[in-house]
Amino acid sequence: MPKRRDILAIVLIVLPWTLLITVWHQSAINPLLAARKDDRHGSRRDSRNTFTLKKPCSFENKNIVEVVRTEYVYSRPPPWSDILPTLHVVTPTYSRPVQKAELTRLANTFLHVPNLHWILVEDSQRRTPLVTRLLRETSLNYTHLNVETPRNYKLRGDTRDPRIPRGTMQRNLALRWLRETFSFNNRHSQPGIVYFADDDNTYSLELFEEMRSTRKVSVWPVAFVGGLRYESPKVNTLGKVYGWKTVFDPHRPFAIDMAGFAVNLRLILFKPQAYFKLRGVKGGYQESSLLRELVTLNDLEPKAANCTKVLVWHTRTEKPVLVNEGKKGFTDSNVEI
Amino acid sequence: MATRMKLKLKTVFVLYFMVSLMGLIYALMQLGQRCDCAEHDMPKDRTISRLRGELHRLQEQMRKAEPTKPPQKLAVKPAQPTIYVITPTYTRFVQKAELTRLAQTFLHVPQLHWILVEDSPHKTPLVSGFLASSGLAYTHLHTPTPRDRKLQEGDPSWLKPRGAEQRNEGLRWLREDRRGQPGADTQLGVVYFADDDNTYSLQLFEEMRGTLRVSVWPVGLVGGMRYERPVVEGGKVIRFHTGWRPSRPFPLDMAGFAVSLKLVIANQDACFDGDAPMGFLESSFLQGLVTMDELEPKAENCTKVCVGWGWRLCG
Repeated sequence: MPKRRDILAIVLIVLPWTLLITVWHQSAINPLLAARKDDRHGSRRDSRNTFTLKKPCSFENKNIVEVVRTEYVYSRPPPWSDILPTLHVVTPTYSRPVQKAELTRLANTFLHVPNLHWILVEDSQRRTPLVTRLLRETSLNYTHLNVETPRNYKLRGDTRDPRIPRGTMQRNLALRWLRETFSFNNRHSQPGIVYFADDDNTYSLELFEEMRSTRKVSVWPVAFVGGLRYESPKVNTLGKVYGWKTVFDPHRPFAIDMAGFAVNLRLILFKPQAYFKLRGVKGGYQESSLLRELVTLNDLEPKAANCTKVLVWHTRTEKPVLVNEGKKGFTDSNVEI
Repeated sequence: MATRMKLKLKTVFVLYFMVSLMGLIYALMQLGQRCDCAEHDMPKDRTISRLRGELHRLQEQMRKAEPTKPPQKLAVKPAQPTIYVITPTYTRFVQKAELTRLAQTFLHVPQLHWILVEDSPHKTPLVSGFLASSGLAYTHLHTPTPRDRKLQEGDPSWLKPRGAEQRNEGLRWLREDRRGQPGADTQLGVVYFADDDNTYSLQLFEEMRGTLRVSVWPVGLVGGMRYERPVVEGGKVIRFHTGWRPSRPFPLDMAGFAVSLKLVIANQDACFDGDAPMGFLESSFLQGLVTMDELEPKAENCTKVCVGWGWRLCG
């Protein structure tokens, strides 16, 4: 029978070592985990990186904040970077009086965003000269596509009919174009993020930087949707999305607006069958029809400070009142507005 | 078994002492040495250093690109007239969205000074915070509209002219500011009244920069028509093409004209009449400043609508 004293001795030996090993284990594992998740920024053995600063392992570096004051240069758009992921912004558009104004506003916004590729898809039989000219004048990096929604699918000029979601065919065409243009196997292609931006919303510049770090699908709040000041995903303390803070049908698989999420291009290429459902989609379920083929709720990445900041507003332009045009049209129809 | 279990406490402590001593010596040896940071290197630090290098590279690129700009740009006089944009604004749901869009446009225009006047008895934190982070040169003012002139709930937007007091406040500040800075150069500028719910193309600002007295141009989607515009003959404005009350002295929209700063300062009393009937707000200001034949037509003799559109935004 071992003596009490011996047991005490053994405990005294073993206990501190277990404590030590636990502490060491904790502090060592976390950075390793972070390193594995962050492999998007390049492998450790990236010999192309000529800018690594060789630093000794001291703690002072963490307190140095480099303040880079960049004077605003009126060169538009910003120079293309080889490192920043490209933002492929898909915008469906259709001809109406305010179209040029909306696209102008959007272009003014996009001209501030580096590495932005604008995919503008017209709902028309042919590419209209108005849009062609506008795109050329902005000097943005763009792709101009078009597909006409068949007459029986088109909305009868009334936005209140939710049976046929507008812009679906145009967005699907953009997805198809992306899949044809970018190959999944090309490891050296620049990473990309796909965002569906309608032409009548307002986007803050911060939003584009938030979505740039999307790994699969990222989400954030959107103002003025669902009859609320804003709709937002519900995020728990672990930083995971577990539900939707909406009044209109919060039990949808993805109760989010088109402007409230972005998808990594690799995911789009990885799932070539994922498209927006065209027929039989209930009002508000269009986003879910695409997202459920790409990702589960657990994989969503909340942005905008864990979905507490509003960076995009679902503004809608009121139709301008053109009563004074009369039957024959008062103004010169050749003047483009 | 008994012999093995002869562990004395003393032995345990001696053992610990030896181990800690060795550990301490090892740590002392490590201090001051460059450790192989392959395992401990935080991936964030690596990203930061890589991005910093990228930033320097891009800055170099931009600096290199500057000398290759077309020669006209180099000939621009350093004293470029500043465009003073006076915008009245008021609190409502879409306010921040509207101001965000507007700021994104203004950031593209060089030498622009934004005078934002709130319809409020005090400066709101939303607007203050927004302006501070906008990156623009700005002046933040505020003045409340008197109750009887304010639109009540349920009133249609065209019932009472909006923003008169705020624009006047902007003019007052501008005049006062210029008075404190005498000199011919400081009078160089253009004043433009831009509402927060319109769209402005970037060419517009370059068109208006050369205004000598009052310049005018077409405005799209206003006055119940696709566009309203001055009719130009022989380089002079002879009348206005508009569907609504063309008999007004100046039947144009607030977004359809700009005034030179010199004229604004020379006519200290010219301001907007808040009691003017609907649609006469612009005339109440311009009447004292200029006559129809003195107007300068812009936008290719007022044939191009590449300029401001006025309409209401709802969210």
